[in-house]
Amino acid sequence: MSSFSRSAQQWATFARSWFLIDARMQPPGKIAVMCSVRLQGKHKPIYHSLDCGDHVVVINTRHIAFSGNKWEQKVYSSHTYPGGFKQVTAAMLHQKDPKAIVKLAVYGMLPKNLARRTMMQRLHLFPDDELPDDIRANLTEELPQPREIPRKLSEYTQEEIDAFPRLWT
Amino acid sequence: MAARSVLMSIWTSFTGLKLGVTSTRLSAFQRINVPQLPTLTIQSRGVRQVVEKQEDKTTMIEGQILDVPAGPQPPNPEAKCPIYRWNLQHKYNYTDVLLLSQFIRSDGGMLPRRITGLCPQEHRKIAICVQMAHRAGLLPDHKPKLPEGHVPKRLKPQLNRYLTRWSIKSVKPIYKAGLKWCKKRMSVGHPALKNNVRYSVKPLYIKH
Repeated sequence: MSSFSRSAQQWATFARSWFLIDARMQPPGKIAVMCSVRLQGKHKPIYHSLDCGDHVVVINTRHIAFSGNKWEQKVYSSHTYPGGFKQVTAAMLHQKDPKAIVKLAVYGMLPKNLARRTMMQRLHLFPDDELPDDIRANLTEELPQPREIPRKLSEYTQEEIDAFPRLWT
Repeated sequence: MAARSVLMSIWTSFTGLKLGVTSTRLSAFQRINVPQLPTLTIQSRGVRQVVEKQEDKTTMIEGQILDVPAGPQPPNPEAKCPIYRWNLQHKYNYTDVLLLSQFIRSDGGMLPRRITGLCPQEHRKIAICVQMAHRAGLLPDHKPKLPEGHVPKRLKPQLNRYLTRWSIKSVKPIYKAGLKWCKKRMSVGHPALKNNVRYSVKPLYIKH
């Protein structure tokens, strides 16, 4: 802002902000895109590959929604040692660890360099609504959800249901 | 004799006809020699309320026609299918629950085509959208009734999903997805809805 003093403007440009994303009923891929953009710092006009990323906090990762039949079809594989090749479906992985799907999605979308690990350290995932107090104190901005959540039939009021015309009798 | 009594009952029901707003198709019986009403009238069987009156030894069961106020007129009344009558051909999706709920039973199944009057293509599309809405959990009150005292053996994992084409139990995991040029894609949505109106520039993305 032009009305800031020089030191305040400097601080506002280079400070590391904390973003909050609610992943309830959202596809994990779209959440991961938003996270990776902000972790790299690509949302800033002063972007440089040397560390200008911000912190991102994702809540409700237990309640993400996959489109299609990906819960059953998507397979996460892990080669740890010869003979230790494991393949787990998204549903089984989510049951074992509700943060893993979002974490793997963000990890795959970050640039494949040494800065990726530091960027992953700045990503904070929480399976439910509860946040520790120190992280809650740091939050600056909440990002809008990428997908519009459709309304259930029980969420419509009786007036709206009556106002909709009967198509056939 | 039975046919004559059927035709008499049809004639009496015709006299009690209301000039309703929306048209319904005539049933199979009525297509056989029935006097043609003038073409301007739109026929509909009124909603009837069953009233039982008990006298000395006789019980009178009467279907009284309720006076339901006429709803809004469809913009295209000459079409046969209700979706075409209201010009909703390529405009609905699995999220339009208010529309879909008019074509389903209370336990979630689809109503037969001969009752709703849908054309076969639209009936199939609505059935697909209803399936997707059920799998997305948008119709929570239209579940089939379980027998009383039924306790599920294993708690099913509550996973949120949307635009699911296949049924959950029928899908197998893709262990070997293949290289980019021959990848086994995961299908999202349904190709029957590919002609839906899109207001954005991006094409419909079905193979993820």
